[in-house]
Amino acid sequence: MSLLKALRYFLREALVNLFRGWKVSLLAILTITVSLLVGGAFLLVSRNLLASVERWRGETRVVLYLQPGASPEVLHRLAAEAGRAPWVAAAEAVTAETARRRFQESFPSLSDLVEGLGDEPLPASIEVALRDPGRRPPELRAWLDTWRRRPEVSMVDDDREWLRQIETVAALLRGVGIALAGGLLAAAIFTTASVIRLTAYLHHDEISVLRLVGATEFYIRGPFYAEGFVQGLAGGAIASAALWAAYTLLRLRQPNSLVESLLAAQFLSGAQIAFLILLGGAAGLTGAVMSLRRESL
Amino acid sequence: MIHFFQVTKRYPGGQTALDRVSFEIARGQFVFLTGASGAGKTSLLRLIFREDVPNEGQILVNGRNVSSIPPSKIPYLRRTIGVVFQDFRLIPRKTVFENVTYLPRILGTDSKSQKKLAYAALRRVGLAHRGNAFPLELSGGEQQRVAIARALINEPEILIADEPTGNLDPDLSWEILRLFLEVNLRGTTVLLATHDRDMIQRVGRRVLTLDAGRLVNDQEIAGTDPPRLEALSPATEPAGDSAEAETP
Repeated sequence: MSLLKALRYFLREALVNLFRGWKVSLLAILTITVSLLVGGAFLLVSRNLLASVERWRGETRVVLYLQPGASPEVLHRLAAEAGRAPWVAAAEAVTAETARRRFQESFPSLSDLVEGLGDEPLPASIEVALRDPGRRPPELRAWLDTWRRRPEVSMVDDDREWLRQIETVAALLRGVGIALAGGLLAAAIFTTASVIRLTAYLHHDEISVLRLVGATEFYIRGPFYAEGFVQGLAGGAIASAALWAAYTLLRLRQPNSLVESLLAAQFLSGAQIAFLILLGGAAGLTGAVMSLRRESL
Repeated sequence: MIHFFQVTKRYPGGQTALDRVSFEIARGQFVFLTGASGAGKTSLLRLIFREDVPNEGQILVNGRNVSSIPPSKIPYLRRTIGVVFQDFRLIPRKTVFENVTYLPRILGTDSKSQKKLAYAALRRVGLAHRGNAFPLELSGGEQQRVAIARALINEPEILIADEPTGNLDPDLSWEILRLFLEVNLRGTTVLLATHDRDMIQRVGRRVLTLDAGRLVNDQEIAGTDPPRLEALSPATEPAGDSAEAETP
């Protein structure tokens, strides 16, 4: 029998077994689905968080807030000084008045808060755009520390600090997801192994006949391996579909929201979906191999 | 065809199933293997198709030392030996046709040739019309005939039967025995284990007698009422697959 014929036979037998014992097969498929759904969800969230970080990185600025009452001359002198640093692309001087106007434009409902206070309530600042926001050379950190120590400067706000924190959260989420999905996948492998062992037990009579008439171990075990693999693929496909459904639902329910832009701006890539499905297949196959390795069929 | 040289088989509990058994069966012979229950008949048969291995001695089947065959080659040995059991070993959820065609399927025979082979094998045992039935819809005698058709489908060189009439009434037993004798007429070597001495006396042929694992008698006896036989038509036609072929 050619390998292709054998594989076709394995697949056909696997599908027959799946339909005959659909209840136990469903159990194995669902455990794989749950584990991959959890793993996929963490993957999706961390992917979106990291994508947001990348998007924001291009928009990050360093803001040097001056002491209240700093004169426009001081503001422009310091802005010019800041603009001369080699890592600075542009240094924009924002007067206290401009800052107040921007606040009122951004938050119209709160505009009363900054009205009628006499002096300008918001400090003047210098918005520094960096040439390469992704890089953080030691000279830049030293330069920012110098600004922090300047008497004219009240505070230095580096956007990239909280971006790094989000990156850490995303990495943490991914790690937790991998660990959680790994644990669940181990449970799924165990369940698949039990299901395959049960199926093999139910076919014990047929296996003894196959062995009697001269079937090879590959021919005897092949359908069970295929069954585990198909169960895993089905689990991976269902998990991917469920994940897509949850993603679509979130986008429909929370359009243009922070949650959507943070967690559901984009779905998993084709390669990631394929990986998820194949991971399911690999888990099912591992379960089948494990179950039959210890069994004398 | 089958050579046993000082074969001893002991089971882990210390029980000796076979004790220095030696004999030789030539190609085309029909041999009865008899003895009381527990005499070692089944143990001897299991050694031939390498279901078990002897503790001592050598077994040659068709020139091959079966004790030293690597596990991966055992299937190829078994494809040359048809085996029939007392309990038929048919799969109840498979049709007669499916039960008979296990070996052709393993060999990758196409479905058209499988049907031809199955029809020929079932015709040979008089069950060509029951291909779509399930085993439990058949009588005991018919089930055993299906098991024989399964054993014969690829024209084995050797046919081994372990108490094939043990579950059947005398008339059916005689009918089944006739089948084995007719298969033998076509040149297949047959080794049939039975404790039915009346049947042996009636048919005649060579008889190996075991007692507590020892071969105590090896004689040719003349039958008192041998059946009239006709050589059966070939069970199979060339299907392009060899039982010895290396397959998955």
